[in-house]
Amino acid sequence: MTTKAKPRETAAKRPISITAVVDAVGALAAGDTQGHLYMYDTNRAGGSTGFGTEELRTRARRGDVLLWNCLALECEAYVSIENILIDPEVCEPVRKVYPGTDVSYWTGTVKKTGPEPVAYRIAFKLGTRDEPITATLSSSLVGQ
Amino acid sequence: MKSQVNIIAVVDVIGALSIRGLHDGNLCMVDDGPFGSSHQGTADLVTIVKPGQVVSWTALAVDLQTPVEIKNISFAPSDGHAAHGRDHAGQAHRDQGPGMGAPGVHGQGAHGQGAHHEQDAAGEKLDLDVWTGVVPHWMTPGVPYQYRIEFQMYEGAHSVMRVETPALMCQ
Amino acid sequence: MPQQLAIIVLVDVGNALATSTLEGNTYLFDNMKLHGSENQGTGELVTAIHGSYWSDGSQASEQVLNWLPYSLGSVPPTVPRGYEADRARQSDEEALAELHDLADRSSAAGADAAGELNRIRRKTGTRLKTTRRTSGRMSGAKILDVTGQVVAEDGTDAHSHPAPVITDIYGEAVDAKIMYPAEYGSPDMVTDGWYWSATVDTSRPGTYAYMMRVQLHKLAQVNGELRWEPVNLTYSSALKISSEPRRNAFTKAGVGPLPIPHTPPGQGA
Repeated sequence: MTTKAKPRETAAKRPISITAVVDAVGALAAGDTQGHLYMYDTNRAGGSTGFGTEELRTRARRGDVLLWNCLALECEAYVSIENILIDPEVCEPVRKVYPGTDVSYWTGTVKKTGPEPVAYRIAFKLGTRDEPITATLSSSLVGQ
Repeated sequence: MKSQVNIIAVVDVIGALSIRGLHDGNLCMVDDGPFGSSHQGTADLVTIVKPGQVVSWTALAVDLQTPVEIKNISFAPSDGHAAHGRDHAGQAHRDQGPGMGAPGVHGQGAHGQGAHHEQDAAGEKLDLDVWTGVVPHWMTPGVPYQYRIEFQMYEGAHSVMRVETPALMCQ
Repeated sequence: MPQQLAIIVLVDVGNALATSTLEGNTYLFDNMKLHGSENQGTGELVTAIHGSYWSDGSQASEQVLNWLPYSLGSVPPTVPRGYEADRARQSDEEALAELHDLADRSSAAGADAAGELNRIRRKTGTRLKTTRRTSGRMSGAKILDVTGQVVAEDGTDAHSHPAPVITDIYGEAVDAKIMYPAEYGSPDMVTDGWYWSATVDTSRPGTYAYMMRVQLHKLAQVNGELRWEPVNLTYSSALKISSEPRRNAFTKAGVGPLPIPHTPPGQGA
């Protein structure tokens, strides 16, 4: 049998996913996210930096689609993104759900980037706590 | 007579940290004692014991993934102004601030005047502690001796919670 | 009962496939930070396992480790188990409804039946052909994009990568009988029912390396059909075992009487 796997180009249309890994128990016990939030994205090859810190710097340019989701360190803990606080002239993320589930993500298109990084902060819902906890430090979008 | 009674405090750690309290079912205490303990499954557990019997306390997280340890167990004497046993919760008491505990949880001051432990919460290695002791012969039968049990859930400003509602009572 | 110890293996699958290595594309976490685990959220995690023993030297608690591999940027593991199959069924049902609708309308003059059929075919997405090796886990599933939408064959550039699969755990910590790993099935909702777990012997303190064999899946076109081609990579991590004696918390020594006051409650000064 002669099968030849042909890898497909995958970089072009895929949104840049930004994932927040939250130590929900640590953040709830402390009342803030410092030391309990780890940020990652899928654009390392494109020049993003700050992986695993609370201050991820995602390399993004006008027209890029961004997708934010989150993951709890304790697999039974509930975490979700309640809001993304970012300059609406740069990006206006909206909340969506994975079809057929109540698991949410946030997505938005980068409208513009400038020479300066654009900082944003994520507010999280954790456990059964009513009041969201907003990230202590900011991540940012960095233009080309 | 059964030589040992085991008291297990089952804590919904994420639930307790979320509402900053052990009420609303976030703490559930049970024992396996042979003498008809009452209020099983609540924070008001009254464990019936006999002199000479060994009592052992264990904390268990509902979801098994989150850390919970017993930080302290103390019996308030009748004047209610000093704690017996080890008590190095001073730091936690300050951090906790007023009104953080569950209903039925007393404010700071009544307890917590014991010796300070030199290590902070993270360095205490509470997982090594075995909370086991023998029921003394001097307990008055039929009188519930309430005790304060304090839990360390992970670490941080809001990580210590306690109740003073469970009790031991001699038959 | 001890706390369950979990190690999350978060892989940037897209980048790992592009560079054919897990190095630089793997981020590890555990829930033992308070026990002294180091380098959380990086590729260099050292997992601290804090054992204990009784005064007679016997191990006081059994430590159980679980590994949870996740794909960075994909549909998250919190969606229900079997999500790809569920979405496949949903999109089929939607398409069937539309086909009924189309049949009703096709008698009408001017209906572009061919165009409609093509649109529906695109919407039904691309079902995966499974190889013998990948059947079971992903058979019958369709390709989803990172937002959980079923994608058509020409839209697979934005497909969501399936979660990595750990296929073996081996190396120094296993050879030295520090841990005894095995794969288990479970009703666990987030790991699709399979996970690697190990019990740990904490009687010999020290740092022990171990290897994970991790299978990623690359979407490939073979003879005009889409397949998930397995790509096997490895990654190393380490366990740092410590062990200390248990101690009586009341007395700091042996078992003694409980610190119960001599005066009964309510009868003091």
